[in-house]
Amino acid sequence: MEFTLLAAAAFAVAALYGMLYWEARHGNADRCAGNLFETAVTSAALGIFIGRIVAMLLDGVSPITHPADILLVRAGVSTVGATLGALAVFAWLSRRELIPMADGISAAALAGLAGWHAGCVARDACLGTASDLPWALAQEGSSLTRHPVALYAAALFAAAAVAIALWKAYRRPGFGIPASTALIAAGTIRLLVEPMQPSLSGGPVWFYALGVVVGVAGLVTFRLSRFSGGDATGR
Amino acid sequence: MPRAIVILGLVLAACSPTAAVDADPPPPTTAEEVASIIEASEVPVIVNVWASWCVPCRSEAPLLSRAADRHGNEVLMLGLNVRDTPNGAARFIGEFFPDAAIVHLADSNGGIPIDLGGSRGVPLTFFYRQGGELSFLHYGVIDERTLALQIDEIVNG
Repeated sequence: MEFTLLAAAAFAVAALYGMLYWEARHGNADRCAGNLFETAVTSAALGIFIGRIVAMLLDGVSPITHPADILLVRAGVSTVGATLGALAVFAWLSRRELIPMADGISAAALAGLAGWHAGCVARDACLGTASDLPWALAQEGSSLTRHPVALYAAALFAAAAVAIALWKAYRRPGFGIPASTALIAAGTIRLLVEPMQPSLSGGPVWFYALGVVVGVAGLVTFRLSRFSGGDATGR
Repeated sequence: MPRAIVILGLVLAACSPTAAVDADPPPPTTAEEVASIIEASEVPVIVNVWASWCVPCRSEAPLLSRAADRHGNEVLMLGLNVRDTPNGAARFIGEFFPDAAIVHLADSNGGIPIDLGGSRGVPLTFFYRQGGELSFLHYGVIDERTLALQIDEIVNG
């Protein structure tokens, strides 16, 4: 069963790589010396590892006494732990040029998330809450139709990724602006789809809202520093 | 870096779970008894097949416990302990399901899941609509989204 998660991860990595490849051909990542693909994949992998440990601790299972459980990713990964872990690893690996690297990965990260959600077709995990909309889908053997919520998320992330990539290619927004915008987009999309996700406890809506707030704060900060003639990168 | 590893180890140790409470081993059952419980239940039934020696079962146990707490009045949750020792099963229940609304039964030779249409592997989770119609059978560790979706299916579908 873990292989279906690997298939979804392959969707995500392919989308991430595809977007970085397109952007490299359009000069979007020319401000970064670091390897964006390597940094992003390492950050995501370690983020999942951290998120799994956080989920185990929240469930009262010690990673020290049950280390093999860490590998059972399907049993649960804390979204908050994984996201903060991935961001922390990314910040550490990119510490010499954090803002250019964050800008460089902004569209590709959203594309990777689109790929991950589109991977629901491999995991048979696209369905959400019940719906009567014409495009709602039913599980095999069921008469109850549901939102294909993971496909909604995939489409929204893909649209945001393409919009930011085109923006970077043709309008050249300033330092920090693409990364802040991507954070706002990611938080907003998760806020939109979360009510349609099947869940026992409800997703971390507060965390997605916090992501939007941090993104808006970043956007304002970078815009102000640009207008005041400063450089938010400290260069 | 070594200091960071030591700090991480201390944090993880501090967050380790408390000791398991004492629990009784699950009573032995038969395929006929399980089938009659499923058919006679006035609410949909979830049958989770587990064993104390099964690492993936331990990983999904907290999730099942949370589901029982949240949906205990909408579904009947049966825990079917297979190919296990009474002591091992009792320790597992004490560690993961001390207060959960789950009825545990024991199948020492592990044949009941096969009679129900499953396999010898664990964990397995069967979802039955009211009346005993099998709605979904999940092989392996179950995740929160799948569990929530399938509970919604058998309760509202």
